[in-house]
Amino acid sequence: MTVATPDPATAAHPEPAGVDNRVVVGGAALTWRTLPRPALPDPAAVLAQSAVHALAAARQHAVHGTELLLSTASRVDEAMRAELSEAGFSVTVVDDDGAHPSAPARARDADPGRLWLLTSGSTGRPKRVGHTLDTLTTVRADQPERTWLCPYAPGTYAWWQVVTLSLTQPGQHLVVVEPDELDDWPALAAAHGVDAASGTPTFWRRTLYRDAAALARVPLRQITLGGEPVDQAILDQLRDLLPAARISWIYASSEVGASIVVHDGRAGFPVDWLDRETAGRPTLSVHDDELVITSPYHGAGLAGPVRTGDRVQVVDDRVLITGRLDSDEINVGGSKVSAGVVRGVLTGHPAVAWARVTGRRAPVLGRMVVAEVVLAPADGAGVPDEAALMRWCADRLPEHAVPRRIRVLTEIPVKETLKSDV
Amino acid sequence: MHSLGCRLRRMNELSRAQIRDLMAQVLKNQDKELPADDAAQLREIGFRSLDFSELALRVEDETGEELNFDAPGLRRIATVGDVLDFLVELQHQ
Repeated sequence: MTVATPDPATAAHPEPAGVDNRVVVGGAALTWRTLPRPALPDPAAVLAQSAVHALAAARQHAVHGTELLLSTASRVDEAMRAELSEAGFSVTVVDDDGAHPSAPARARDADPGRLWLLTSGSTGRPKRVGHTLDTLTTVRADQPERTWLCPYAPGTYAWWQVVTLSLTQPGQHLVVVEPDELDDWPALAAAHGVDAASGTPTFWRRTLYRDAAALARVPLRQITLGGEPVDQAILDQLRDLLPAARISWIYASSEVGASIVVHDGRAGFPVDWLDRETAGRPTLSVHDDELVITSPYHGAGLAGPVRTGDRVQVVDDRVLITGRLDSDEINVGGSKVSAGVVRGVLTGHPAVAWARVTGRRAPVLGRMVVAEVVLAPADGAGVPDEAALMRWCADRLPEHAVPRRIRVLTEIPVKETLKSDV
Repeated sequence: MHSLGCRLRRMNELSRAQIRDLMAQVLKNQDKELPADDAAQLREIGFRSLDFSELALRVEDETGEELNFDAPGLRRIATVGDVLDFLVELQHQ
């Protein structure tokens, strides 16, 4: 193991602009400046035991440019450790005792300033995407002073978005939620004056489902959704509960950075944003129902148009992002159904808190649309049964798109990424 | 076929009557009724391929076993009785 050593910032390695922002983590109120300072190897693949260790590694990178891949241990299996070691990283567990590095299988020089993200990738096998603090920093304009909730898993793109904002802008404070605090975050947030929060639609649905009254007590001025398709129902529910907050949804990925930001409270983005070229801004296009983005915030080696793998559908004057191309389209006897569109209809039902829509193998038609739902806590209006939900869908969708089996789950499923693979 | 009892039903297998109940449920969800007569024409009661597929999924969900949809060859399914016969048979594939 390595003993933590003081590493005062120097003229060559100045502290980031946000160094004195408040950082509440693991129940302690710190600042970026007062975070622990583990001595990290370079290049390092840091497996952070908890949020404070991840933040400490991020600060180290910001000051010293340490080449860094940051993750939690649970996202890196043995095969990935070996792969990272082969790629020259010193795989380093960081915990309360400091940094515990292991020698890389193939030592090499560090690439100063390089940050690596592990993306889940469409194949399920995580892949590395190269960034820098600069390409990860997408909010540059001066912001009103805010205290941000950070519920994301360390090292994910969404986590870096919140972290870079706080590192680079004075007045952008952080309250970090550990995984075991996730269900009760509104109490933590209210206690620390959180007024801005970013989460996946699944994260927001779970919060509304578990305790909407507690959420209403958080003095939120800014609500941000991203990481999954955003439907109208979740935007409407949040607006009704928190009328004082600005509600934004963001389309962002490790590959193309934050490319779409929508503040008008509606799902999708305006059709006239398509194929509009503006210097310094991403260009959005659609090819064969796939969203294609050319972005200045792209990952290393990803210049030019990037096929996102996300399926879009134009409905009236909006371009809706309905889901992953390889899973969103369900072919029912030759008729194409968008799982995302069906999901939007189900979550539009006042008694549905969450829904997942998939295709299921069936005779004659090849596949049929089926769904799983979580019902909102009963409010006296009664709980709809399968037939009632089918009728709700039948009134709003073509016949072949109506889910023919609807299973009720008792809890909204969520993964470490705060997504639920809807 | 198996009506003489010379063949025991598998544990999770549904009887013709149970499948009939499920078929009635599929129609009831659409405010339609299943006639008692097995000779009733599917076209007349409004039981279509989507409904047939849904019924097959319900049979799977009840038994917890996947039906092998590819096993039997093509056939004409025109009456309520055809549907029930087909699904009873499919459980044996």
